[in-house]
Amino acid sequence: MWQVYFKELTELVRDKKTMFFVILLPILVFPVLFGIMGLVVANVAKQAEAEEHRYVIINADKAPELTEALFYHKNFKKVESDLTDAEALKQAIRDDKFDLAIIIADDFSADATHLTQSKWTVIYNMSSQLDMIDKYFNELLRDYSKKLQLAKLDSLGVTAEKVDALLQPVKLEKVNTAESREDLGEKIGGLIAYILIPLCLAGCSYPAIDIGAGEKERGTLETLLICPISRTSIVLGKFLTVLTTGLATALITVTSFGGWGYVIGSLMGVDIVAKTMSTLGVADLLLILMMLIPLSAIFASLLLSLSIYARSFKEAQNYIGPLSMIVFMPLIVALMPGVELTWSMAMLPVANVALAIKELIKGTIDVGMLLAIFGSTVVIAAALLAFCVSWFQKEKVLFR
Amino acid sequence: MIKIDALAKSFAISRGQKLSDSEKQDVRYSKEAFHSVRNVSFDCGSGEVLGLLGPNGAGKTTTLRILSTALQPDSGSVLIEGVDVLKHPVQARKKIGFLSSSTGLYGRLTAYENIAYFARLHGMSEAVLKQRIDELFTLLNMHDFANRKADAMSTGMKQKTAIARAVVHSPKVVILDEPTTGLDIMTTQTVLDFIRSLKQQGTPVIFSTHHLDEVASLCDRVVVIDKGISAFSDSFDAFKALSADGDLRQSFMTVINATASNREQN
Repeated sequence: MWQVYFKELTELVRDKKTMFFVILLPILVFPVLFGIMGLVVANVAKQAEAEEHRYVIINADKAPELTEALFYHKNFKKVESDLTDAEALKQAIRDDKFDLAIIIADDFSADATHLTQSKWTVIYNMSSQLDMIDKYFNELLRDYSKKLQLAKLDSLGVTAEKVDALLQPVKLEKVNTAESREDLGEKIGGLIAYILIPLCLAGCSYPAIDIGAGEKERGTLETLLICPISRTSIVLGKFLTVLTTGLATALITVTSFGGWGYVIGSLMGVDIVAKTMSTLGVADLLLILMMLIPLSAIFASLLLSLSIYARSFKEAQNYIGPLSMIVFMPLIVALMPGVELTWSMAMLPVANVALAIKELIKGTIDVGMLLAIFGSTVVIAAALLAFCVSWFQKEKVLFR
Repeated sequence: MIKIDALAKSFAISRGQKLSDSEKQDVRYSKEAFHSVRNVSFDCGSGEVLGLLGPNGAGKTTTLRILSTALQPDSGSVLIEGVDVLKHPVQARKKIGFLSSSTGLYGRLTAYENIAYFARLHGMSEAVLKQRIDELFTLLNMHDFANRKADAMSTGMKQKTAIARAVVHSPKVVILDEPTTGLDIMTTQTVLDFIRSLKQQGTPVIFSTHHLDEVASLCDRVVVIDKGISAFSDSFDAFKALSADGDLRQSFMTVINATASNREQN
C-alpha cells in the first residue's frame, strides 16, 4: 500500500498540472486575483466618491441656505439652465446636459412660522449601485431640515431642552453580549468553510482522475493488477494519495491566505486579520482540520470510484463535473442566512461540516454536536471507502 | 511448466444492450451472457514457446488475462509449476511476467523508476532489485536512457522498458498478448529477440499473435482458439502438417473451417 502511495505522490509531484492546481493556484494566483479585484473595487468606489455632479436648482431663492450649502459642496457644481418643467429637465439629464435637477416647491417658505409640509422633487439617474448623489444631497438636506425643524419648533414655543423629548421620546442604548469573535465568526466563518470545502474537492479531483482513469488510459492498470499485491492495498494506496492532495490544497491555501492577509494587513495597517488569527486558537484550527479529514475522505472515495469506472480521462471529467454541483448544493444551504447548526442540519452531509467550521470559528460549537458530525462523516467516509474497495474488485469496472 | 485445463469465462450482458446481427449469429451469445471462453485447454513445457492463434474476438485476450490472474474464470484450472493460479493468485503472480502491446508506462517516472516500482510491488528488496535492473539494462542495452522519463522516450525505448518491467522479478512463465501489434520493425525485432533469449534460459513463453512468420521462427507449440474453444493444440510440426505444402496460413484455415463444419453438423 505504501509503495503505491509513495509512487503516486512522486508522480503527482512531477506533474506540472497538479502542481499548478495544488500549489501555485492557491499560493500565487488566487491572492493576486483577489488583490486585483479588491483594488478595482476600491478604485471604483474612490472615483465615485470624488466625482463632481452638475446640478440645476429651481426656485433657489426660496431656500437660500440650502442653495448656498449646495454651491460650496465639493461634489456639486452648479449649472445654469432655463428649463423649469420636470419633463424637460428629465430629458436634459438624459442628454447629459447636467446630472441632477432639484425642484423646490413654489409654496415653500423657510419662514419659521410657516407650518405646512412642502414637497420637493429631485431628478437624476438612480441606476447606480453607488448612489453618491443620494448620499451627498441627503446629508445637506438633513442638516437643512434639522435647522428648519428647530426654528419651527421654537416658533411654537418648544425650547431647545424639550426638543429631544419631543422628537425622540425614547433613546435606546444597545449592549451586545456577543464577543467580537462571535460577531466576526458569523461574518467570515461561513465564507471560510465555503473556500475550504470546495478546495478539498478541487485538490482531490485532478489526482483522482490521474491515478484512476489515467491508469486505464495509459494501459498500466492491467500490469498493476497482476502484481502480487492485493487490490485492496492498491485502492488504499491510491485513496491515501488523493486524500493527501485534497488536504494539502486546503492547508496550503489557508496558510497562503493567512500569510498574504498578514502581509497586506500589516502594510496597510488593517489589523482585522491579526485579530482573527489571534482569536482562533491552535486547538480550533486542529478541530477544523479534524473535520476536514473525513470530509476529504468522502470526496476521495467518491472521486476515485468514479475515476476507476471511467475508461478515459475525458469520461472521468464528465462524471466529476456533476458531482461538484452536488457537493455545492448542501454547501449553499449551509451558507443561507438564518441557517443554524441544529440536530437536523447536523445530519446533512457537507452542510454539517460547513456549519461546524463556522461555529468553530465563532467559538460557539456544541461539543456533542461536533462529535456527532465528526462521527457521522467518518461513518459515511468509511462506507464510501468500503464501496470503492469492493468496486475495485469488480471485473466489469476494471475491464470495461 | 504451465498447464491449462477446460477454462471457461462468460461476461454478463447488461440489460437493454442491443446485439448486432453478427453478434446474434455468434454461438457464444445467450440472453444473459457472452461466453467469451468456453473450453480452452493446452500446456507448455519449460523452454517451449507457445503461439496462440485465432481470429479477432476469439477469446485469446480473455484467456491470457485469466492466465495472468487479471480475470477470474468461471471454471477450469491453471497450474504453473504445480501452483494453482486460481486458488493462490498472489503466489502465482510472482511466477508470471505479463506484457501486451497496449501496456503503458508511467510517463512521469524514469525507466529505472518504472521498473523499480513493479519490482518493489513484487516484494524485491532494494539491493536485489538494483542488481537485477542493472543486469536487465545491460541485457537490453538500456543504460543510455535509464534516467529518462517515459514520456520523453521513443517507442523502442518504451518497449524495452516494458520488457524489463515484465521480467524484473524473474518469472517462471512469460505471457505476451499480441506483443508486436502496432510496433515498427526495429521494435518488433527487440521483442522477438527477447522471446528467443527467454527460450534459451528455459522460461516458457505463451504469446498471442496474428503474424504467422513469428510463429514459424519461434514457436514449438501452436494453439488455435476459435469461438472460445481451443480447436487445435499440438506441436508446431503437427500444425504445419495440416496443409499439404506446409503453408501456415492454409493450416490455420483448415482448423477454422473444421470447427465451423463441426458446428453445422451439430
